[in-house]
Amino acid sequence: MNSEVSQVLSKRNLDIVNASLKRRHAAESRFRLYGLLSIGAGILMLVILLGSIFGKGYRAFSQTYIGLDVHFDPAVIDPEGLRNPEALAGADYNALLKRSLGELFPEVTDRQEKRALNRLVSGGAAYSVRDEVLAHPELLGGTSRLWVSAGPDVDMLEKGYVDRDAAEAERIMKDRELGWVDKLKADGRLERRFNVKFFTAGDSRDPEQAGIWGALMGSLYTVLVTLVLSLPIGVAAAIYLEEFAPRNRWVDFIEVNINNLAAVPSIVFGLLGLAVFINFFGVPRSSPLVGGLVLTLMTLPVIIIAARSALKSVPPSIREAAMGIGASPMQTVFHHVVPLAMPGMLTGAIIGMSRALGESAPLLMIGMVAFIVDIPHSIFDPATVLPVQVYLWADSPERGFVERTSAAILVLLAFLILMNGTAVYLRRRFERRW
Amino acid sequence: MNTLAESSTVQSRESVKMKSPEKEALIAAHQREFTKTIGEIASPNPRIAAREVNVYYGDKHAIQNIGLDIGHNEVIALIGPSGCGKSTFLRCLNRMNDTIPGCRVTGSIRLDGQDIYEGGLDVVPLRAQVGMVFQKPNPFPKSIYENVAYGPKIHGLASTKAELEEIVETSLRRAGLWDEVKDDLAKPGTSLSGGQQQRLCIARTIAVGPEVILMDEPCSALDPIATAKIEQLIDELRELYTIAIVTHSMQQAARVSQRTAYFHLGRLIEVGETAQIFTNPRHPLTEDYITGRFG
Repeated sequence: MNSEVSQVLSKRNLDIVNASLKRRHAAESRFRLYGLLSIGAGILMLVILLGSIFGKGYRAFSQTYIGLDVHFDPAVIDPEGLRNPEALAGADYNALLKRSLGELFPEVTDRQEKRALNRLVSGGAAYSVRDEVLAHPELLGGTSRLWVSAGPDVDMLEKGYVDRDAAEAERIMKDRELGWVDKLKADGRLERRFNVKFFTAGDSRDPEQAGIWGALMGSLYTVLVTLVLSLPIGVAAAIYLEEFAPRNRWVDFIEVNINNLAAVPSIVFGLLGLAVFINFFGVPRSSPLVGGLVLTLMTLPVIIIAARSALKSVPPSIREAAMGIGASPMQTVFHHVVPLAMPGMLTGAIIGMSRALGESAPLLMIGMVAFIVDIPHSIFDPATVLPVQVYLWADSPERGFVERTSAAILVLLAFLILMNGTAVYLRRRFERRW
Repeated sequence: MNTLAESSTVQSRESVKMKSPEKEALIAAHQREFTKTIGEIASPNPRIAAREVNVYYGDKHAIQNIGLDIGHNEVIALIGPSGCGKSTFLRCLNRMNDTIPGCRVTGSIRLDGQDIYEGGLDVVPLRAQVGMVFQKPNPFPKSIYENVAYGPKIHGLASTKAELEEIVETSLRRAGLWDEVKDDLAKPGTSLSGGQQQRLCIARTIAVGPEVILMDEPCSALDPIATAKIEQLIDELRELYTIAIVTHSMQQAARVSQRTAYFHLGRLIEVGETAQIFTNPRHPLTEDYITGRFG
């Protein structure tokens, strides 16, 4: 009888289980669907973002050039005939370009028309001619074809931003100018080439002369300062707090404050940097040094928190093993615990560094938003960084800066990917099983 | 008798709440009397001599008034139900309890006549003298060679590479692992089987040249064959070292030890020759435990 009861009971249990199975399976497939939807939404956003940035930015990697037969007239360049580099650098190369253009279009005589004609060539083109002469002084006296950047309007026309069918009054380029450009094109004097300048020059007011190199170097120096300061300080603080500090109210207080600091808006760190580093310690304004210091303040809490949790996750058996054979606490920590926590610490450092690289708000406060043409050569030179450069260009009215803004974002993303890739590679190398 | 012992625990728990010094002294005296261990705690030739050892984890009185000698070249088995304090007592012997926050130890534990809880004593040489093997094999995530060589390296026991290699070889030989691993000393220690890992941990402990080896349930994570190997090893190691082993297996205690100590609820109930404890226990609690009535 007893076994009968248990059979009946188990039969009933089985029915209940079976009845609930359908519901459970449905719940599971529902959850999978939600997961897929969220991932799909995330990927869609990413594709839209990257697509729109790339769609706008890829044109910035090419630039329209105009081929001009420049006569390097010694009377203009070197009237004294001394071949003095200083004198050569100060000559009026614009005049040479104007003369070349004038030879191409002899029919243009009117003053105003001439001015419009000269605008076909970039305002910075004279510098390219100067550089050419300084590099090859033997050109003096001869004539050769030089490819110089076209002006912004020609570049926009070539990249398809100017609607030729629109009424003349609504166009930035008039029929007359379109005619000149078409003639240049017919002569094979108009070409789109890879925009080397974008990767080698600093900032400029002229979009066709502006480059990302200055901001890139600024970012590099700033991140380097941040890394060199925040990684050792953060890791040392985490190791002390986790492994050596006594458990008392002071340590709890410090812990709460570190967690709070991680959530403080970054602009506050910028103000702090302005007040402390620049006003009190007199660190040079706009320099990667002060930028790095401010970003260090911002990054430290992130690194400390990540490093502490990495240390916490090292199994206690490893500590016991080391202590059990007489390793001192210091040896235990540095021979065994820290190597095992290294991948986790590096992950924290990556997150911190990526945040630092993408940060702009605190740097506005310490003058890294200034218009800086020169490329920084040390951490003391005035500089700007990639995200601030994006901000500056996005704010510029010239049409050419729209595509350059997107291109700068692409460069920033590439820098981030490169940096994270290196860090992931390092982390893999440190990763060990236990 | 059983109920008597339990009522005493109830009493001691209540008594913790009263805090005046006279009362505490009274209670301590009462407890000393009441928790008197049956059997001979002293050893004619003690290596470790523990007297009146009390351990507190915060407010919890984990072990109470334990006195026990561990003699030269003997294996002593500490047995008892879970939570009876045998591991706690073992960890007192090389001060591994220091790392636990809130843990307090009173009383005296002497290693070769030197009180190891004396102020100013450095735990580093102590732990080199009193090695420890843990419940779960815990080799470092390094090569087999590095695992064994690490201890001698940090203590500076070998001045040349050849000497270090010799120490590694002797230690692995003594741990009965040499023949199995001699060809791949560069393999990670974690790639060995559980039993091999535990023997590697024993080799690592031996490499430092300890006098005493503490083993905290060294076979609880191992299969019977690996366990048999470790037990045989313990028997061989007895010639060179003093060994204290905590175990849940009474058969193991009977097989490897000369003396056995039975712990119950933080007190040492009975100590004696292993044969006597297992054939003729004097305390009813001991009898209940070894006959399998609880635990």
